[in-house]
Amino acid sequence: MYSLFNPNQMAVTPFLFFTGKGGVGKTSTACATAVALADQGKKVLLVSTDPASNLQDVLEVELTNDPKPIPSVANLSACNIDPEQAAKAYKESVVGPYRGKLPDAVLATMEEQLSGACTVEIAAFDEFSHLLADEEILAQYDHVLFDTAPTGHTLRLLQLPTAWSGFLEDSTHGASCLGPLAGLEGKKALYKKAVDSLSDGDKTTLILVARPDNSSLLEADRASFELKEIGIKNQLLIVNGLLQSHQPEDRVSTAFYKRQRAAIEQTPEALKQVMTYSLPYVSYSLTGVENLRHLFSSYAITSFETEEEGEPLDLPGLNSVIDDFSEHNTRVIFTMGKGGVGKTSVASAIAVGLSEKGHQVHLTTTDPAAHLAYTFEGSGIRDNLSISSINPDIEVARYKETVIEQAGSGMTEEELAYLKEDLESPCTEEIALFQAFAKVVEKSENEIVVIDTAPTGHTLLLLDSTEAYHKEMSRSTGDVPDSVKKLLPRLRNPKETGVVIVTLAEATPVLEAARLEEDLKRAGIEPKWWVINQSLYATNTADAVLRGRAISEKKWICKVDAELAEKCAIIPWLEEEKIGYDQLKEFIL
Amino acid sequence: MKKVEIFDPAMCCSTGVCGPTVDPELTRIASAVYSLEKKGFAISRHNLTDDPGAFVDNKQVNQVLVDKGPDALPVVLVNGKVVKIAEYPTTEELAEWFETAPSELQEKPRVRVSLNINN
Repeated sequence: MYSLFNPNQMAVTPFLFFTGKGGVGKTSTACATAVALADQGKKVLLVSTDPASNLQDVLEVELTNDPKPIPSVANLSACNIDPEQAAKAYKESVVGPYRGKLPDAVLATMEEQLSGACTVEIAAFDEFSHLLADEEILAQYDHVLFDTAPTGHTLRLLQLPTAWSGFLEDSTHGASCLGPLAGLEGKKALYKKAVDSLSDGDKTTLILVARPDNSSLLEADRASFELKEIGIKNQLLIVNGLLQSHQPEDRVSTAFYKRQRAAIEQTPEALKQVMTYSLPYVSYSLTGVENLRHLFSSYAITSFETEEEGEPLDLPGLNSVIDDFSEHNTRVIFTMGKGGVGKTSVASAIAVGLSEKGHQVHLTTTDPAAHLAYTFEGSGIRDNLSISSINPDIEVARYKETVIEQAGSGMTEEELAYLKEDLESPCTEEIALFQAFAKVVEKSENEIVVIDTAPTGHTLLLLDSTEAYHKEMSRSTGDVPDSVKKLLPRLRNPKETGVVIVTLAEATPVLEAARLEEDLKRAGIEPKWWVINQSLYATNTADAVLRGRAISEKKWICKVDAELAEKCAIIPWLEEEKIGYDQLKEFIL
Repeated sequence: MKKVEIFDPAMCCSTGVCGPTVDPELTRIASAVYSLEKKGFAISRHNLTDDPGAFVDNKQVNQVLVDKGPDALPVVLVNGKVVKIAEYPTTEELAEWFETAPSELQEKPRVRVSLNINN
């Protein structure tokens, strides 16, 4: 297996970027690395972009966007940049001066245009490009660590000549995703320097953080490829949370261990070429400097137990969710959540449960069809359950083609390149998928439709305003498809549509899910259920390490149940990853 | 010579590709405005997101917004007078206002500055 990641035993570049999807442990890994380097006597600055300010809990200090020394760790300073805050500040700087001067409805349309994921992404890049390009910072610190990295999309946009010439020369051909940078042409040199530093292997290491599971490793592979292409070649991979051993007599522990090992064996070939280290699965949560120091000494269990088991929690299982939808005759059900939380499994289980109750059900998923076919193969699937799949790659490719066909004619090569990069934004995938499943919903008027993905509030609001806008624009030919128009009002009707938020009982997934919910509420959609998936707390594992983790889940389960969810259900961590129809059936009864 | 001003709705880009649907109208207008500008005609375009001040300063446009809300955009002004609400001028209309041929208005925009941030 991999050697353990230990910054004390390797050469470390001045800049370290930690990247990976939410919940893989970027912040804690970055933090532990920063503490280890500072303990060696190096001057270290830790830059976090964690909007939930997790870092403040970890370091037990209030942080601002100015670097500040950490009292409990000599040589370590830290600052927290909140990209959502930065994006909000940018939005307010644009809209604020016109409050009272333009009607509120007009201001609202401006605000929505500035509420996309790209705005946040670019605002974050804007914030940390200062730190990358500032000579004074480099002189002051031996290492600067970032617990996030710009995406390939952001960096590619910045490299396109049109991105700059667009702002500088020609406001009528301005940029889109780069909205927040508009008017900041003075920053060109700064960004160039930031990008240069990023692609200089002597200066910067990109640390890909992944969990030992298939979807997380695939994601790391994609990020690795994308950033390599753009010139960030000095990369290493940390497989975080690797269970070192297991108790053969404990079923959960054994299955957990085997699943991790199997996932690692299936690591994508290209990712295998990246230097790989691991960090152990630990029983304690990585808060407090002492726990962080423990991590690199690879203690799986702390000598001091910080959390008590306490009173057991009593939450309903998934069957309550199914009963609820069955009783209320909900017609369209979405499961939503960030990648890796098990949206597809939950959607499948809900579909199976409803069909067992005699409803006509159509399940559509964005998981590759092969997977589902395999999952339900040879099982006693009922004929009132049908399944289809939406392949995101195909849908996105089709959508892009249509766009380029419609809008690309009459464009120069440079503009076309820009248009194509615009289409690489996360919004494109969302819209393409939304259009695809709107079609599925339209076709299934007499069935309950269960979908394992959902649009964000931002997309819904944009679609909505576009529709209103097009009603006025008789001549317009760029139209919202009929299926989408019909679906929008249905989505807002709680009698017809149920949204299930799927999360894990850990800090980042819960906080991310809370943001998803906020965003949906903005669009007038109230999620009905929260489902806490893959809970170790809900198993009866006796393995000491897993039990420790199970106890630390409790705090998050309580938070979801008490503060976030209208109704909350819990699903235990299951031994089988790909559960078939019969297991699903057994599980929901 | 006539002066034409177009007040666009809030959008993140003038080609409309980043929105939830693509409107070829926007691409057509972008090209037409570009061609006219290049020939030295007095035509300008204001996007609500980038240039909200223009929507305050122009009393006519402001009044339209107060009366009809954001759905009234785009608003088109010729010599300071509102001539179109909630739709863009056709290529023929533009040609007529500027006394030129519609075929003159389909020139492809060119990017003038080329800078590779990596070099």
